[in-house]
Amino acid sequence: MWFVRFVSSSIGKKAIMALSGLMLLLFLCSHAAGNATIYMSRAVFQGYADELHSHPLIVLIFSSGIFLVFLVHICVGILLFLQNRQTAASRYSVSTRVVANPLASKTMPYSGLCILVFVLVHVSGFAFGPEHEPIAETVKRLLGHFFYGLFYLVAFAALALHLSHGFWSMLQTFGVNHPRYNPLIAKSTLVVPLFFLLLFGGIALYFMTGIGASF
Amino acid sequence: MSTIDLTLQIWRQKDSDSQGHLQIYTLGGISTDMSFLEMLDVLNEKLTKEGKDPVAFDHDCREGICGMCGSVINGVAHGPEKETTLCQLHMRNFKNGDVLVIEPFRSRAFPIRKDLIVDRSAFDRIIQSGGYVSVNTGGTPDGNAVPIPAKTAELAMDAAACIGCGACVAACPNGAAMLFTSAKVSQLCLLPQGKTERKARALAMVATMDEEGFGYCSNARECEAVCPKGISISNIARMNREYLKAVLLEG
Repeated sequence: MWFVRFVSSSIGKKAIMALSGLMLLLFLCSHAAGNATIYMSRAVFQGYADELHSHPLIVLIFSSGIFLVFLVHICVGILLFLQNRQTAASRYSVSTRVVANPLASKTMPYSGLCILVFVLVHVSGFAFGPEHEPIAETVKRLLGHFFYGLFYLVAFAALALHLSHGFWSMLQTFGVNHPRYNPLIAKSTLVVPLFFLLLFGGIALYFMTGIGASF
Repeated sequence: MSTIDLTLQIWRQKDSDSQGHLQIYTLGGISTDMSFLEMLDVLNEKLTKEGKDPVAFDHDCREGICGMCGSVINGVAHGPEKETTLCQLHMRNFKNGDVLVIEPFRSRAFPIRKDLIVDRSAFDRIIQSGGYVSVNTGGTPDGNAVPIPAKTAELAMDAAACIGCGACVAACPNGAAMLFTSAKVSQLCLLPQGKTERKARALAMVATMDEEGFGYCSNARECEAVCPKGISISNIARMNREYLKAVLLEG
């Protein structure tokens, strides 16, 4: 069957990584848009959260959808990582990377793992947090702890690193590579991770430094 | 004429089934005008005179167009000079007293036959599975009967520059053969003569590439950086498009 052939091929697995990565990126965009209301005021943020949770069906469909996409991205990623290790584990006594900045591409499985740990902590803290506490209060309470905030900052750095290879890599896997658009893609590969780092990191910094004590 | 003295650490392996090891040799008075392979020739003459087994390495044209030569020098396939095969790498790229670690192109799909010689017939099998255009009948067509835009012809020619040396596989952290396969897929799918079979070709060549035990591309771009013919990874993007189209519509 064509689907089995597609999934078992090397390019097919990469396409699944790229497609699930794109979906996660879109989720990240919507999440970032929601969180940006924190910068406006407590009332706007709480209003947004209340509005969102007044539609439990939408929340359920989207959260289980994103859970599935996450699962696919992680499972296929682990599979690729293990299979690639089989092919090429410590081949040379001297190994040199010729590419100028290989850090992001070299550390994809590890930065991915950091993001996974973060997501588990984040979901258990916020989605499964105290039921009757307003979400704005939970954000203030949790991120008010210095080390909790620091953990968030480290995780956002890992996310930025992951995206700084992942964004370009996703487009390359989809076959988006054209002399006209390559400079734009190269710039976006810097801008997109930085955007999320600043937006999310700003929130963590706001609370952990105590500036957000009056939030 | 300036000369340099070198310490070489060369991978010695009797045959495919033996364990290999790095052997240390010292070599003095190497002319900087020599090519890398000529330097190995000097070493082999010395070894032969001493009654030892010379280092086995692949080579043929020695002018950078056949794709036979190639080793990993201090972790870099074909050595430190960009867009150069090992035979065209000259000793002026090295300094007096340098230590050079010379290893074969390693990949699960490239078994070592002896010393620096690896079996790259996996590449031949990828080509056999679809790297051709079927013309089963008819006379020779007129050269200008099928117009091809100059830009397209150039892109196809850039891809066709691949000499199949295997440096892309050797340099890839995953031992993937995407650059090689994509160069061949691109070269043919860009031209009108190759368009007829483009879907079947992409499916067959990718399937063979996977069966041969090459790794999965993780877009680390190392292949492009060491390719002696400067093959661009835009070819990999093109093959991804070709394959996705083929597998979704005709797979």
